[in-house]
Amino acid sequence: MACRYELKEILLTLDDLGLSLGGKAILSGVSACVRNVTRPGVLQGQIVGVLGPSGVGKTQLFRLLSGLSHPDRGRVLVGAKQQPVARGDVGVVAQAYPLFEHYSVLDNLMVAARQHGLSKAEARTQANAMLARFALQECASAYPATLSGGQRQRVAIAQQLIRPKPLLLMDEPFSGLDLAMVREVCALLAEISLHNEELTTVIVTHDINAALSIADTLWLLGRPRAPGGKTEGARIVHTIDLMERGLAWHPDVMHAPEFESTKREVEQRFAAL
Amino acid sequence: MSFLRFIEPNRVTSRGELRMLGAVWLGALLIGWANSASGVLPSPAEVMRALRSLIFEQGLFAHLSSSLYTSLLALVWAGVLSALLCYSAVLPAFRPLSTLIGNLRFWGFAGVSVAFTLWFHGGRELKVALLTFGMTGFFVTGLRDELRVIPRERYDYARALGMNEWRVAWEVVILGTCDRFLDLMRQNAAMGWMLLTMVEALVRSDGGIGVLLANQSKHLDLASIAALQTVIFGVGLLQDLALASLKRVLCPWALLKVEDQSHGLPL
Repeated sequence: MACRYELKEILLTLDDLGLSLGGKAILSGVSACVRNVTRPGVLQGQIVGVLGPSGVGKTQLFRLLSGLSHPDRGRVLVGAKQQPVARGDVGVVAQAYPLFEHYSVLDNLMVAARQHGLSKAEARTQANAMLARFALQECASAYPATLSGGQRQRVAIAQQLIRPKPLLLMDEPFSGLDLAMVREVCALLAEISLHNEELTTVIVTHDINAALSIADTLWLLGRPRAPGGKTEGARIVHTIDLMERGLAWHPDVMHAPEFESTKREVEQRFAAL
Repeated sequence: MSFLRFIEPNRVTSRGELRMLGAVWLGALLIGWANSASGVLPSPAEVMRALRSLIFEQGLFAHLSSSLYTSLLALVWAGVLSALLCYSAVLPAFRPLSTLIGNLRFWGFAGVSVAFTLWFHGGRELKVALLTFGMTGFFVTGLRDELRVIPRERYDYARALGMNEWRVAWEVVILGTCDRFLDLMRQNAAMGWMLLTMVEALVRSDGGIGVLLANQSKHLDLASIAALQTVIFGVGLLQDLALASLKRVLCPWALLKVEDQSHGLPL
């Protein structure tokens, strides 16, 4: 059930990224790009799933993409103008959904809005709009400590999307969730993607099912075996185009015939790493 | 059967149950006290008589208010100094200062009192200085430990929102730990209140409850000593309660955080 789509301008470039920590190569030669996907009659962002075994360097790649760390080599370019990434330019939703515990939900959103130069009144308007969009109106005056895990995740995402950003990074958004909650988060991410054509969402995860369900592209991060047993840094060893396979934007993707075969392929590639 | 539940390990109790248990223990202590009065331990009636004498003949309230004022001044000084020393440690140039001042808690109090006497010439200033010195070392050490354990994710979160490092320091280091700062202030207030009688016994000008206590000790008036100790204990508890209420008003989220993380043990 492949949908018609076109790949247009580049929105995210990872250009030969290299990073070493304490003399150990963590990432080397990480290169990839994401193009603007357009579909007739549908406003649609891009969702990339980054899969990799534990300890492979996903967190370090996440930090490079967010501008929180700088690579030793290479660069990350974001947006239609392909500007070098700087911290604050991209939305970052960390695994534990950190929020300012000393502010209410509304104030958390307003702090993020004001950080981008909005006046207090504009920030309040934007914050209220995000509360409505993410069904959080009832939590507006609540402190983060009183929120459920799901509400906290929605506030964390809303805070990052309160101003238009070219890239939304999410670290393990499915971690510790049951199947029903994973589906709920996938639906939320799909909804976010449908509202922001130029938004690229990069989801770093080890949940193959969830990544296959929501992403249109998969990057498999791994450490290729070097001759002589020398340790090399991790890089994107394989890219799977789920649009081409008819698995992107599929209403019932888990029951699509290609789903299981793609899942097996990913598992086999992992095993070979 | 219903009382047996209070000797089950790890059983969660409600606040009402805890209050009831507290009242039972207090009643038991009072009964035990009333029935064990001797030459060493004055009876409750003797203590009440001594308390009346302290209030109406020896100006207990005037001494008490002087002590409270001294303690409050010292607490404010210790709080301000500790905050300045620890929060300025976000700037590398100032980092050694908080380490140095924190280590001064190992410096002998008696030797310091001589130097401070020469410096401040006595009076309330000297008492405040001694108390401030006594508290600041511990306050700084506690606050430094709080700042040291702020996870990197908190800094990253603020930075990812595009905040500059000054704003990160304000939101994460200062506002993000102000609930813990008030907790430390509460602990140090208790310590200062305990140190106060000793300092007031050393520096007797301007009076204070420590002066009264030293006078009664000189005359071995055990009933008055017990009465004063009870007053010191009660005022200390009230002070602690006031600081806990201040935290509830200034940092309401901190209370929610504790409730969220605890398992209902109202300890």
